[in-house]
Amino acid sequence: MRILYINNAGSGWADYIDVPQSQTVEELFREKMPGRKPDDFLIRVNRQPVAKDQILKENDRVTITPLKIEGAII
Amino acid sequence: MYDNKELVKIANRILDVLSILQKNRWLEILNSLANFSGQLKDTASQSKKLGISLTHNWFFAAKRCRTSIGRSLDDMQYSIQKAKQFINVKVPELPKLSVLIDELNGLQLEFGNIDFNREDNTLSVVTEPITLEDVYLGPFRIQLNISKLSEIYKDRAYYIIALDPNPAATDDSVTHPHVSSERLCEGDGTVSIRTSLEQGRICDFFNISKNILNTYSPDSPYVPLSEWDGSPCYDCGYICSSDNHYYCSFCDHDYCEECSSYCPKCDETVCLGCGGQCPHCEEFTCPNCMSHCAECGQLCCISCLEDDLCPNCIEEKENENEEQQDNITETETIAKSDQSKSGNTEIKLAS
Repeated sequence: MRILYINNAGSGWADYIDVPQSQTVEELFREKMPGRKPDDFLIRVNRQPVAKDQILKENDRVTITPLKIEGAII
Repeated sequence: MYDNKELVKIANRILDVLSILQKNRWLEILNSLANFSGQLKDTASQSKKLGISLTHNWFFAAKRCRTSIGRSLDDMQYSIQKAKQFINVKVPELPKLSVLIDELNGLQLEFGNIDFNREDNTLSVVTEPITLEDVYLGPFRIQLNISKLSEIYKDRAYYIIALDPNPAATDDSVTHPHVSSERLCEGDGTVSIRTSLEQGRICDFFNISKNILNTYSPDSPYVPLSEWDGSPCYDCGYICSSDNHYYCSFCDHDYCEECSSYCPKCDETVCLGCGGQCPHCEEFTCPNCMSHCAECGQLCCISCLEDDLCPNCIEEKENENEEQQDNITETETIAKSDQSKSGNTEIKLAS
């Protein structure tokens, strides 16, 4: 099953990825962001807030954005 | 809340500018390559000159060529990096109009309210009031200038405007530790902000910007939150930043520029209260470089003291010595004349 995965942490990339059928949002997060806490991120599916046990569907758009991003003098 | 019809208009404007941005991306590659080929030509020319210089043993000219070649090589490295930055990364596809409308809908859902200014062509959202480490900074408007989206490789396309500003005491233009003159220092969010704008992920752009505003990075702020309200000069109470504070090691306090000075003898910073003016040379001097005159006890700088005596006492002593010398000379003269008189008498008596 293919979904659009957007990771706004670091370099901020967006790409289509394959995920197993009936994978939940939480499972995808743990796979993509190992060792990180979901509470530290804004997680949206199709631009909507969702429950962590929501099952992903074909062509879903998942966005993960860190809540804390350090600004700096460049 | 904007209805779908209005959102289509906004999305259309964004789409138009994003298509210009795509072309600008190609132009950036072209510019970098043009710079690179110019620098390459310069290097070849300098290399030829270097050869001629060495043939004639003109080592001074050879040195100049070497410097110039070194500069060109550095510039070439930068141009290559810049070109590669655009060539290696996949060119983002132009988003569909429907995707942009979804983005704007998502933005309304996320922030509750968005504001589109038709004349200025700006799209804005307002954050919740922000407080970082107990310092209230107020709400901020994140204002995206849609027309400037096509220029993101050269300039910022958005502004961060404090709506209830509580700027740093030392700099009015700093309204947030990471915002100066309405410009956000993106730090770790630099790439993700640019990528989101390139791809037309408008909602992500506003979320990332908001999250940077909600984060304090103590390592690299314009003004640290610990000094947000500045600190007062111990003497006059003027609020100034730590950069403009002068520490007096004699009394252990911080002073502003006006209330402190330095000792020209030892270069030590000293406040106006601890230091003093030497009554003789009139130079401002720190307590370490002042001493009492052994004779009169007057405090003066060590440069003016000679054998522990102040210039006044030295002069007085010199005068005394001169007087004494005069007295001795006078006594000796009188004695001599008396002697010669008595000698004459003796001669007369003998004759």
